[in-house]
Amino acid sequence: MTKYIIRRLLQAIPVIFLISIVCFVLMLMAPGGPQAQFNQNRFIKPEQVDLWLQHWCLVRNPSPPDMIKEYAGWLGVWNCQTQSFISENGGLNFLPSFLGGGVNGMLHGDWGISIYLNQPVLDIILGRLPVTLLLMVTAWIIWLTLALILGVVAAIRRYSFFDQAATLFSYTFYSLPTFWLGLMLIEIFAVTLHWFPSQLIQSPRISPGPFASAVWWQAFWTDPGLYGWDVAMHLVLPVTTLVAVSVAGDSRFVRSAMLESLNQDYVRTARAKGLSERRVIFRHAFRNALLPIITNGALEVAFLFSGAIVTETIFSLQGMGYLYIQGLQAHDYFLLMGIVFIGAILVVVFNLVADVLYAVADPRIRYD
Amino acid sequence: MSTVIDLSHVAEAAPGRSIGQKPPDDVLLDVRGLKTYFHVLDGTVPAVDGVDFQIKRGETLGLVGESGCGKSVTSLTIMRLIDIPPGEIAAGEIWFDGVDILSLSPSEMRDIRGSEMSMIFQEPMTSLNPVFTVGYQIAEAVKAHRNVSKNSARDRAIEMLAAVGIPSPERRFKQYPHELSGGMRQRVMIAMALSCDPKLIIADEPTTALDVTIQAQILELMKSIQERTGTALLLITHDLAVVAETVERIAVMYAGRIVEAGTAEEVLLDPKHPYTQGLIASIPSTVPRGQRLNVIKGTVPNPFRMPTGCRFEPRCPHAFGPCKDFDPPLRLTGPNRESACWLQYPPGELPVKETDAPPATPVPVERVGH
Repeated sequence: MTKYIIRRLLQAIPVIFLISIVCFVLMLMAPGGPQAQFNQNRFIKPEQVDLWLQHWCLVRNPSPPDMIKEYAGWLGVWNCQTQSFISENGGLNFLPSFLGGGVNGMLHGDWGISIYLNQPVLDIILGRLPVTLLLMVTAWIIWLTLALILGVVAAIRRYSFFDQAATLFSYTFYSLPTFWLGLMLIEIFAVTLHWFPSQLIQSPRISPGPFASAVWWQAFWTDPGLYGWDVAMHLVLPVTTLVAVSVAGDSRFVRSAMLESLNQDYVRTARAKGLSERRVIFRHAFRNALLPIITNGALEVAFLFSGAIVTETIFSLQGMGYLYIQGLQAHDYFLLMGIVFIGAILVVVFNLVADVLYAVADPRIRYD
Repeated sequence: MSTVIDLSHVAEAAPGRSIGQKPPDDVLLDVRGLKTYFHVLDGTVPAVDGVDFQIKRGETLGLVGESGCGKSVTSLTIMRLIDIPPGEIAAGEIWFDGVDILSLSPSEMRDIRGSEMSMIFQEPMTSLNPVFTVGYQIAEAVKAHRNVSKNSARDRAIEMLAAVGIPSPERRFKQYPHELSGGMRQRVMIAMALSCDPKLIIADEPTTALDVTIQAQILELMKSIQERTGTALLLITHDLAVVAETVERIAVMYAGRIVEAGTAEEVLLDPKHPYTQGLIASIPSTVPRGQRLNVIKGTVPNPFRMPTGCRFEPRCPHAFGPCKDFDPPLRLTGPNRESACWLQYPPGELPVKETDAPPATPVPVERVGH
């Protein structure tokens, strides 16, 4: 098993490399660029724009070799200052700096500087992750629990009133776009009823600083009830939006996995042994239905980190999804690459986690 | 007026077998007028449509018939493992060990299932749960019915594995189904079925999914276990060779009914019903090399449009007068020998269609019993 995990991790390296190069080139090929922010300013001359781009190691309308060069710069193979593969320290740029390599690029742990926010990309992402993780993990736990309950009960009582109602509920919410559902929840529960706040992760009036920053934690421990309750209230509407949409799809998935399992011969064998219905369903059928659910669940975790673009935007939550949409609008290549890179790594890692969990749950799967 | 006799209930009226009356003590299983229907989108499928048979204590009965004739549904109905809906046990009684099990509550039935009567299924590949060890699955059956500790359930499971001829049972106990061959898995199923010393074992095509050499081993095993423990056996199969070797009595099923029953020798050597005759004639080894094999012409009737008379009439080479309009009930033709064919009735007892015959004196129907 350890050997298998190591092999899979080694295989992941070229995969992540390929993902990053495809993403980077596609991004550069898209029309426009970060210089678009100067388009409307007639006091800025094209030469000044070129100089500004040069500062970011970019060129206007890059040709394919330019694109490769820019990608190599982001990766840390190319040195933008010396305009060669040789670093300021005299060695090949991709080598660690103590061997004469450079300090720029992913290979040296430098995620770059956000063009739009003019801060290190990694710092920005780490600052935004807590909001996203709190939102997504809360929603995920709730929707997975609900999906398991709804799916299993609907499968056991197939075609009953409950099953029909759950089906109707699922298709309804599955068909609702998040932006519409979110706006309706704001209109009803925030604007009309004043039950919950409509935006942000905490009330500006009591906010000691950015959520989950050092200052914030300090204030939080002085009065956990106050700050905790405030954050919880702010989470209700966005979490509801996410849960409503996701529970619909997942409960169908659980239902079909459970139905398939319930129709297997070994379930009939379990009944023929005279086991109680509860034991037949939970011990024999559900245990087998869990196998695809585990895979599905593990893959979902990877996407929790990238946040919910639409939901975070509607509720003005400063998370990863909102950050991504901001970066996209500003053509902030380095910020976008940072987010995409994290996503790629997580998808690869959680695919492996899913495979490992599968082997743990199913004795028929062996990796050696 | 000629009687259009409602013959489907003759068996119920037979002495000692009237509805609601407990069968004699030596009869372990008494199935009377059993009807299991399935309500599907296109209508109702009468999968089992009036089945009657008995198994005495310690007796072995082979239930023979082609695919789709209702053998498996009969066995699942006896275990009460039919999904309701879409299934429905529309009529009949199943007396098991002095109790009509159709009147039991689900939890009372659970106590009998796996303990008093147990079942071996056709597909050993899929009938065991892939995520539990075989030992766990046998011990689970023991624990469900016996108030025993985990350790003694484990010991019992190992003992059963040894009893069905599995070498090094302690090691096999910890293995998963996918680590065993098909024959081994079927042995595990048999061990599971035997683990609570049942009075009746229902084996639904236990050897169909196995290759021929393994088939012989499994049949040999079942026979020796049956002789050793004295448990009754209901062996369901479409393979005449299997029943010929294994059982004392045979009941032949066609289109949801029993058409013939008797001892194995009688039925195989002297078949009375044209369907049984056709079945036996179509065994390849009875035909000299180079000649065409015998077949029963036609196909099994469509369950949505069963013939009004005898169900075998459209395919029967001997069909005559009453066959098209009247469904023959089982009739005793010898001690413990039954056949549902008008050929077995004396001419005077044949029913006549009202329109093409003058009214005759009502035909006294001979009571059919065992």
